Amino acid sequence: MPDIRIRNLTMEYSSGGYAVRPFDQFDLDLKTGDLALLLGASGCGKTTLLSMLASILTPTSGSIQVGDTEVTALKGADLSRYRRETVGVVFQAFNLIPSLTAKENLYVAMRNAGVGRAPAKKRAEELLEMVGLEHRMDHRPGKLSGGQQQRVSIARALALDPPLIVADEPTASLDYMQVDGVIRLLRELAAPGRVVVIATHDERLLPLADRVVELTPHRAEESRPPERVELAPGQTLFRQGDEGIMVYEVDSGRIDIIQEMADGTEQPLAVVEPGNYFGELAPMFGLRRSATARAAADLPTVVTGYTLRDFRARRSLSTDG
Amino acid sequence: MWLVTARDLQFRARRFIIAIAVTSLVFGIALAIDGMRRSVQHEIPAIVANFDADQWVTARGASGPFTTTRVIDAATADAVSDSPGVHEADAVVLSRTVSGSGDPADANLVGHVVGGLGAPPISEGHAARTSGEAVVSPGITVDVGDDLQVGGETFRVVGKTAGGRYYFGIPTVFVPLEDAQDIVFHGQDLAMGVAVKGHLDTPPPDMRVLDNSQVESDLRRPLAGGVQSLVVTAVLMWLIAAGIIGLIVYLSALERLRDFAVFKATGAPTRIIVGGLMLQSVIVSVLAAALAIPVSKLVGFGLPFPSKLGVQGLVQMLAIAVVVGLLASLAGVRNALTTDPAAAFGGN
Repeated sequence: MPDIRIRNLTMEYSSGGYAVRPFDQFDLDLKTGDLALLLGASGCGKTTLLSMLASILTPTSGSIQVGDTEVTALKGADLSRYRRETVGVVFQAFNLIPSLTAKENLYVAMRNAGVGRAPAKKRAEELLEMVGLEHRMDHRPGKLSGGQQQRVSIARALALDPPLIVADEPTASLDYMQVDGVIRLLRELAAPGRVVVIATHDERLLPLADRVVELTPHRAEESRPPERVELAPGQTLFRQGDEGIMVYEVDSGRIDIIQEMADGTEQPLAVVEPGNYFGELAPMFGLRRSATARAAADLPTVVTGYTLRDFRARRSLSTDG
Repeated sequence: MWLVTARDLQFRARRFIIAIAVTSLVFGIALAIDGMRRSVQHEIPAIVANFDADQWVTARGASGPFTTTRVIDAATADAVSDSPGVHEADAVVLSRTVSGSGDPADANLVGHVVGGLGAPPISEGHAARTSGEAVVSPGITVDVGDDLQVGGETFRVVGKTAGGRYYFGIPTVFVPLEDAQDIVFHGQDLAMGVAVKGHLDTPPPDMRVLDNSQVESDLRRPLAGGVQSLVVTAVLMWLIAAGIIGLIVYLSALERLRDFAVFKATGAPTRIIVGGLMLQSVIVSVLAAALAIPVSKLVGFGLPFPSKLGVQGLVQMLAIAVVVGLLASLAGVRNALTTDPAAAFGGN
């Protein structure tokens, strides 16, 4: 079974006309048998990473290797074969075909992959027994609870015994009564010969994980001395999409705040003069930088960076004073 | 592919049943119209064959015995019949008239030599044997033994024939030649032409010889516009049917976008996704076409003349239904092809 090796992964796409870069030179290694949790706030790129692992999205640059397969290079029939045979996907919304029974959902997935009728039928029954749905095989999804649908979805992901399972928020659509069975099932899947990658907000899954990958930058609450930064004219302080730890005040010169557009152009948002601050939202809410900060092109600029705690204390003093 | 297609048809059964019912009505109308066209096209060789002639003699410059306004002396038939290679030759009068008294209707008038070429095969009663007797085709609602007004003269209906309609299903009255000459030529011994059994090498002076195919072609010419209208109407009906099926399949495809995304995300070959949609569309179309057969029979009752379907018509309709189904699936197929597999991710 393949280990997974991600190197220099950059993903950039357009959202509302703006360039969004959830991954910038991202690296990750996962070993066979790992159950990895991708944690992070909404929009941090969890589903994007799953989609890239499943070869549904192609990264802007970088490499994803699953065993000997360079996933980013797959095309045409090889791409379909990879999706079919190497990856099993568990969707947040289950995504069972509503017109098919539980058993038929599995059967069709296998038939689409060229499995014969009798073996496909037998395997579908075995998998549904494995997930505890032997009595609900002939029910359509509409007649199953959310937890049961998710178990069917997991069984479908296992239909072709793929070495990589990716699960997108598998517990998000379930109530607390239904979560237990799904969590246990996901844990059991991560066995030697298989890697399970789960994108989730659900911290109940944390004890299951062999690896936890935080995709949201940590808030910089630690103590850290103020950081004086001297910038040459036109020099970039931080780029849109970077992790954001510090809040900056302009000591001298001028900072241009610029939004990078999807078409490669730049749109000026604001000019920050001495005595004013910028860049507070990213550390405050654990977000990536939503714009680029660059020293004015015509004069050298000096800024000082503060941790969020120091920045708050400083503003409080300043207000009190 | 079969299973997903069949199950989706079951799952959305009510919608597809409505689509099949509406489409079958459109198909049925199209089928009836196309049957009319077949009937019209079939009646031409049928009426020509009724004369059991091999050749026809008309005036030089005449377009043909059915359409000409240039008449000949009926006695020409005697000269022709004496010609070498000719077994039989009879003058014929072919004209339009009206029949009935209270509410007269258009009718074709065929005047033929009693017992000669042009006397129709009898399905009920007997052939006209003397002046004042008539045989009628379907479309004239009289019984054998009734009197019938034809061109102002009264005839006794002595027989019926199973065919004989022409000029877009207009019924025909077959009367002795002399009676037809009375109606059309005030008793002058004239005729539109001479039906010839055998082979005439040289036509009489100022006359021409036509074979059956030339006569059929001449008879078909005035009908061409009408036939073309039927063809266009039928094609429009097929297109409307394609539109109805296309709309239903398109709407279903819209509802199934996430299914397609899941199929793609899980590596199902595109041919299976596209093939399933096409198959669904073709099944709906073929079922509608099958239901259209009885519908066309019902529609046929309201038509002024018979609608002829036949085995060829059924095969042709099946082929058209398949083409209509495939065309109708195109919009849905386009949706399926352009669905982004990434759409499978995310919540409801």
